[in-house]
Amino acid sequence: MVNQSPEYLFGQWLDNALTEDERAAFEALCISDAEFAARVATATQLNVAAEQFSAPPMPAWDKNATFIAPDKPKWWQWQGLPAVSMAMSAAAMVMVLSGFSVQVEEGRVTMGFAQSAPAGPTEAEVAALVADRINDYQQANQAMFTQYVNALQQQQQDSSAQLAQYLLKSSRQERREDFAELVQFINQQRDDDQRYYTRQLTQLQREINAIDDGYTAVTE
Amino acid sequence: MFEKRDEQLIEQALKGSKKAWFTLIKRYETGIYQYGIRMTGTPHDAADLMQDIFIAVFKSLSNFRGEGSFKAWLYRIAHFRCIEFYRRKRPDTPLEDSEELSCERPTPEHSLMTDITSQSLTHAMQRLPLAQRAVIELKFFGQFTFEEIADQLGLSSNTVKSRLYSALSKLKLDLEVEHG
Repeated sequence: MVNQSPEYLFGQWLDNALTEDERAAFEALCISDAEFAARVATATQLNVAAEQFSAPPMPAWDKNATFIAPDKPKWWQWQGLPAVSMAMSAAAMVMVLSGFSVQVEEGRVTMGFAQSAPAGPTEAEVAALVADRINDYQQANQAMFTQYVNALQQQQQDSSAQLAQYLLKSSRQERREDFAELVQFINQQRDDDQRYYTRQLTQLQREINAIDDGYTAVTE
Repeated sequence: MFEKRDEQLIEQALKGSKKAWFTLIKRYETGIYQYGIRMTGTPHDAADLMQDIFIAVFKSLSNFRGEGSFKAWLYRIAHFRCIEFYRRKRPDTPLEDSEELSCERPTPEHSLMTDITSQSLTHAMQRLPLAQRAVIELKFFGQFTFEEIADQLGLSSNTVKSRLYSALSKLKLDLEVEHG
């Protein structure tokens, strides 16, 4: 059912939205209704006038007056400041409640939430670290034992050399002393023998003298 | 050279870019000035109205949500400023449907217009009540749909159509008088 209202048809025509039936009704109205046709003619005339409309040239007007630059707000008047403060407070609360911690160790910053699980190397890293430490310890011990054995050997060699030298030195001394004693003994023996022989000779001489005296006496 | 969209210019103008605001003005000043000519009938009033409109637009720029076209929003503000313009001019006169808001005699400034048809049309429009004049202006010169006009003027679409229908009848007679 086509809406036959002139206003409606006129509006549809102006919006270029007439259907086939509406267009037929519109055209029929243009033929039958002179007043309606006059409106259509005026509208057409207006459309043409709008396209060809010429106005006086644009006057020089003060555009600057339309630009009312807003005052730049100070940083403390920044509208986001309350929101940022709120967010910071919330973040602080979360950090406190969740046990957030920051650790600085050997030039490394570690941040974490889990208090129960201490931050650090993994189990594999710990095992590798322990293995490295044991290896280093063994190598250090080995080096120390080797050094100790070498030192003992050196010390023993030195001691043996000193002992041998001492023994050599002491045996030479003893032998020298023994020889001296022997020489002294021999000399003493020779002195004793000389004294003995002297006495024997003296006694023999006395006996000879005695014999000689006796003989003389006999002979005489 | 690519032209910036109205929304981009508005955003920059809101951040304090005078250049962006002037670009936006340049884009629409001719249309608004001609709107002013047809609504007020004199170049002087049209210039005042144009400045008034752009000041109001700049003040309200942050309220533009981009839900419709900037042009439609601009002409809505232009319509309100036009009503205000007539209110200031004749404070005791009711606005929307009054016949008294028409300019009875062409001013000497009209002779500045270069085209006889344009002069006649402007004179004829001045005899229309403001409400009907606004509908004619927006429909034929602004090229808005009835729905857009209804939205801009805060009316129903049928009321707009009815006003246009009545205005055309009156305008036809006035144009005939003008052409003598």
